[in-house]
Amino acid sequence: MEKVLEVKGLSKQYTKVLAADNIQFDIGKGEIFALIGPNGAGKTTTIRMISTLLIPTAGDAIVGEHSVVKEPDKVRECITYLPDEAGAYKNMTGIKYLRFMAGLFYSDIDSINKCVERAKEICGLGDRLNEKIGSYSRGMIRKLLLARAVMTKPKLAILDEPTSGLDVLNAIEIRKMIKKLAKEEGMSFLLSSHNMLEIEFVSDRVGIIAKGHLMVTGAIDELKQRYNAANLEEVFERVVLENEVH
Amino acid sequence: MKFINLLKKELSELINLQMILGLVVSLAIFMVLGTVMKTSINEAVDESTNVTINISDRDKTDFTNSIIEALNAINSDPDENTNVKIKIFETEGDDYADILSSNDISNLIVIPKGFTDSINKTEQPELISISRMTSAATMTNINTGNSSGIKLIENCISNTIASDTGMNEKQYALMEAPVSVVNNTVVDDNSAPVSPDSIINKVMMQNMILPLIVFVLIMLTSQMLMGAIANEKIDKTLETLLSAPVSRLSVIGSKMLAAAIIALINAVVYMFGFSTFVGGATNTLSDTADSVIGQNMSVDTALNQLGLSLNAGDYVLVGLQLFFTIMICLSVSLILGALINDSKNTQNMIMPIMLCAMIPFMISVFTDVNTLPMAIRILVYAIPFTHTFSAIPNLMFGNTTIFYIGLIYQIIIFLICIFFALRLFMSDKIFTISLNFGQKSKYKKRKKNSEIEE
Repeated sequence: MEKVLEVKGLSKQYTKVLAADNIQFDIGKGEIFALIGPNGAGKTTTIRMISTLLIPTAGDAIVGEHSVVKEPDKVRECITYLPDEAGAYKNMTGIKYLRFMAGLFYSDIDSINKCVERAKEICGLGDRLNEKIGSYSRGMIRKLLLARAVMTKPKLAILDEPTSGLDVLNAIEIRKMIKKLAKEEGMSFLLSSHNMLEIEFVSDRVGIIAKGHLMVTGAIDELKQRYNAANLEEVFERVVLENEVH
Repeated sequence: MKFINLLKKELSELINLQMILGLVVSLAIFMVLGTVMKTSINEAVDESTNVTINISDRDKTDFTNSIIEALNAINSDPDENTNVKIKIFETEGDDYADILSSNDISNLIVIPKGFTDSINKTEQPELISISRMTSAATMTNINTGNSSGIKLIENCISNTIASDTGMNEKQYALMEAPVSVVNNTVVDDNSAPVSPDSIINKVMMQNMILPLIVFVLIMLTSQMLMGAIANEKIDKTLETLLSAPVSRLSVIGSKMLAAAIIALINAVVYMFGFSTFVGGATNTLSDTADSVIGQNMSVDTALNQLGLSLNAGDYVLVGLQLFFTIMICLSVSLILGALINDSKNTQNMIMPIMLCAMIPFMISVFTDVNTLPMAIRILVYAIPFTHTFSAIPNLMFGNTTIFYIGLIYQIIIFLICIFFALRLFMSDKIFTISLNFGQKSKYKKRKKNSEIEE
């Protein structure tokens, strides 16, 4: 399978904390890979390094053919990033926001219009797009931001806690949207979440991360079998306990 | 194209109904104040040229009659260039409020009984002056009726005494005004036949505008830029923006330019409004002052002759300093904005900039920095904004060395500030750095919680 992302020993040392330690995994084309772990495990730090927002203390990540350390500008052309609990500009209308964001990726009007049309279709907000974002519900903002993240057809869409703070129906809708884009358009996704059920439903492979260490990676069924677990939650519990013993 | 897209977004974030309303209201306030000022001054000037003297003669002697006749003669004399009106009232008692009310007047001079006797005994006679005060405002209480009346009565008495002692009119005039002062003001090697007071008044009024504009510009640019960065950080839109394929320099540049453009629009509006306000006061006053003082030269001509007028080159230099002040302000705001992690902190963060703007602003309004003691002067000049506040006086009075040292100092400070600001934005510290006022750091909080759990 063609690799869209190769993470090679990424580490991030803050002044007092080693937030990520020698993280290694890869993501293939059209694959949904999820980093799972508790709060403060190092998921967001890893994702931010791949998104070129944080500079790794050691290691590298290759997106397409570009290094996040040496060619961050090129990497940013291939990815989109949706931060956890991200907001949007409240004084803008939804449509203006999409147009503004598309304008950061493309300079020609045709490409911008195509992106916006695609985003309109994906988010399904209809006429509400002409209203100011300040009047949107949390679910509507999340849908808008997700549409923004995928409208440019990036090689890799990085979504940090994509359904956090959403009600069940909105969360299901967004999960379905991610699966559809991966299956039908071959878009690759790197997700992070601490919601194991969500990940079990949406992702092809997972990486379990705790205290900055990536403990294990693999397909969900394979991991369930390996750890003799009924669900991903049990896999996670056993992996964490096993690593604490060692 | 991408930069224009960013700039348009920044401008649309800053230009909102609140900002436009604020500008319109400020402008309206300045214009209304200017009109009120002009009307009040005109009324006061009008009152001082159209004097009504109300007199009540309770002595009723030949001498007091002659005084009133002499005053009436001024009134009817076509050669006298005055609009003096004399009104005679019959009054008694000392309930002065009632006297003014019943006669529907606001001022009155009472010549009491025994007035002529005192003069005959070579004693100083008493004259009773009554004025109604209607408010605490200076302009509304200018009442020239009584003072003019008293002066005229004094002249009459002096004239009588002079003629009694055999003094002729020429001798009397000399006694009244023994010397005629010819004012000359010297600045460096230039001199002009005007009084220094009139020059100072004019220069002070003119120089009030620049410090106000500088102050408004500093406060607005810093507030807008800090707010823009803090909001992006708090709403996590900065992460989205910086993970998009645009250079960080474009993101910073667009924010700085948008803040500067909006601040400039505000400054122009304030300048226009303030000029209208000050113009309302100064133009009327200086026109009157020129005619009243009767100087040989108008103040504007004198300013030119003394070399106190700025030429186009000087204005370019002042503009250059203003530019560097704004650039310093923008780069410091970039750093301070990046430190904010809570919208409540924005007000705290603006404090250092506000203090640095407030100190030179207040000093420039009340005095000249160069007149302060050396130690304080160095401290005040260490604030880079001070050089712009004192730019016009420095150029006017030929302190070009101080001006150029200030300009170089501002350029150095700007380079240092922008270096640190760019370093912060180009690194990943922009996402990790923050200052917590009165809040314990997350690390300390976590440590304390774990200790409690144990």
